[in-house]
Amino acid sequence: MNENKITLHVAGVTKRYGDFAAVDDLSFDVRAGRIFGFLGPNGAGKTSTIRMIVGITAPDDGKIELFGQTVSPQLQDRIGYLPEERGLYRKMKIVDQLRYFAALKNLDGKHADTAIDFWLKRVGLPEWKNKKASDLSKGMQQKIQFISAVIHDPDLVILDEPFSGLDPINVEILQDIVLELKAAGKTIIFSTHLMSTAEKLCDDILLINRSRKVLAGSLREVKASFNKNLIALRVVGGETILEDKNLVSKITAHADELEILLADDADPQILLQRLIETGAKITKFELIEPSLNDIFIEEIKETPLLSKVAN
Amino acid sequence: MRKFLAVVKREYLKIVWSKTFILSTLFIPLAGLIFSFVPLLMMTIEGDATHLVIIDQSGKMSETVAKMLTENQDFAPDDENETEPLAQINTSQQDKIKEASQKIKAQFVVEDFDSKSMPLEQIKRDLNERLRGQKLDAYLVIPADLKNAPFELYARNASNLTIRPRVKNALNQAVRRVRMKDENISPEKLDAINRDVELNSNRVDDIGETEDSGESFLLYFGIGLLLMLTLTLYGQSILAAVVEEKETRIAEILFSSARPFTLMMGKIVGVGLSALTQLGIWILSIIMIGLYVLPQLARAGVGISLPQLSPAFFILVIVYFLIGFFTYATIYALIGSMVTTVQEGGQFALIAIIPLMGSFYSIFPVMNSPNSNLSIWLSLLPFTAPLVMPVRVAAQTPPLWQIGLSMILNIATVVALTWLASRIYRIGMLMYGKKATIPEVLRWIRQS
Repeated sequence: MNENKITLHVAGVTKRYGDFAAVDDLSFDVRAGRIFGFLGPNGAGKTSTIRMIVGITAPDDGKIELFGQTVSPQLQDRIGYLPEERGLYRKMKIVDQLRYFAALKNLDGKHADTAIDFWLKRVGLPEWKNKKASDLSKGMQQKIQFISAVIHDPDLVILDEPFSGLDPINVEILQDIVLELKAAGKTIIFSTHLMSTAEKLCDDILLINRSRKVLAGSLREVKASFNKNLIALRVVGGETILEDKNLVSKITAHADELEILLADDADPQILLQRLIETGAKITKFELIEPSLNDIFIEEIKETPLLSKVAN
Repeated sequence: MRKFLAVVKREYLKIVWSKTFILSTLFIPLAGLIFSFVPLLMMTIEGDATHLVIIDQSGKMSETVAKMLTENQDFAPDDENETEPLAQINTSQQDKIKEASQKIKAQFVVEDFDSKSMPLEQIKRDLNERLRGQKLDAYLVIPADLKNAPFELYARNASNLTIRPRVKNALNQAVRRVRMKDENISPEKLDAINRDVELNSNRVDDIGETEDSGESFLLYFGIGLLLMLTLTLYGQSILAAVVEEKETRIAEILFSSARPFTLMMGKIVGVGLSALTQLGIWILSIIMIGLYVLPQLARAGVGISLPQLSPAFFILVIVYFLIGFFTYATIYALIGSMVTTVQEGGQFALIAIIPLMGSFYSIFPVMNSPNSNLSIWLSLLPFTAPLVMPVRVAAQTPPLWQIGLSMILNIATVVALTWLASRIYRIGMLMYGKKATIPEVLRWIRQS
């Protein structure tokens, strides 16, 4: 897969409901064959954006291009969408539901049956094929819903909070599948507000808040731009050094260690050197990379320590 | 197209394989059959002949009564006139009826008891004993004085119900003959005097004169009832299906795969086909009942005759059913998309139920005067025409331009409703948690 090939191009898209702009002048690109984390707090406009991408609603302004074409009903067949609000027909057999969803994606019956058997086996539910949805546990139903999003072998898979309510084992299974899809060259848009999961899976991220883009870029770039010279320190002694305002701007005490925020332009190497010189006993000294969670909270609070926006 | 067919197929199979559908499809004609066949069967299969003893104190009656009871002659009950429908039944059926009625009549074995041999009290004691011992089914005491004294029938309770009317009928005829004989009137003359008049009702309309029996009322009523029931029941089932997709949040998955309009129309067409399937089965069984059961019923004393209806009429009924179905189904689907639960939908369904009930009740005035202004308007206007026009046509064919105008108006309504629905359905289906308000819906219509 060409790293630079664009699967989805969103340019200046706005969606208004009455006076309220659910999505405001949003632009971003999703590269082919990568996992794109679409992040933001509840009500930020994620679902509104996704609905426009999958062709459920149309943007009021701007344009959305998918596979190089304007979104259309025909393109819907190449998208697999697992909405956050999702469900199954309670009284319908699993196999019939999946056949139905496959038919709605223009997949013929023979291919659908092969795919159904493959996927049921893959998620470990082959013996539930002829059971009704109401007989399945919530986690099982969720895996069936996941299957309905990938059964027609779509080129773009959009997963909105795919792991919510799943136990760790099932989360693992679905994460593996997502990585397999990526390896097979599929593009995946992955919407969540669970930063730990996003951190683990995503190649690129887009953070939106209050209908607008806050932050975008590859995960690596974003993290690098948020490097705040934070140090996790476990030490006995050296208090005088830590009180030096030229070195340390803030100390936060955690259970058994300190979180040190260095002063601007201070060098962590110098701090370490001076602590050793005073004879302090150091058991831990670690430069902390900001977690996506920290970045998220910081950006959303709109009180950034560093007003740096990547990209 | 594959998507549309997939939706149609799902909705159709879902309904047709449901227990409710199978039960109601079978039960209604079955109930019809049971109510019509069973009494007939009970009469024919009842088996053993009724053993009746006649104690004739007058000495003039027993022979005639016995003849009346056993002989194979026309046995129409005195005070009802039920023989007319026979005229409309073809020969093979007539044969069957004769056969059946012979069975009914051959059921009396009459024994003449010599009343002079011992006192009445003694005879009655003996006969009571035989009654209790089930060696006898009934006995009849004919008084010496035919003019004033009552006739007495003794029977075990159960058999009394079936025996009494026939004995009474035989007695009436016999007594009349005796009375007339006393007045020197011959039985032939008596029959001539007694013959019922024939009253044929004829209807005159554009097609010409056709004979019409009063029972067509039942047919109009039946058509109206069937249409109203089907429209209401299947409308509700569309409402429930739409709300299910909304409640279970399947709508969003569906909308990401197919156009909302395709999905809604697929649903309506699928449910409509299942309704047609059921109607078809019912109409077939009505035709079967009409061909095979009614003649037998008529013989058994319940006369129902169906007026002659042309195939064109049935096509008209189906067309209006379809128009009505699409009108009301779209309304029900819209209601479903705007509410959050089936219960809530039930309240809004009044929007559809009121015009349906209204048109159903207007069947009565329309039947009475099919060309009144009320009838004309109701058969033209949307929402009422689907029920009223077929009834009006059945009662008296209106001018063709009125049928044409009514169809144009109603098809236009269907188109307008579908257009409206395509604007409201998608937004309504994706709005969770609260039901839509009227201003909101109006805004959706403007915006989309």
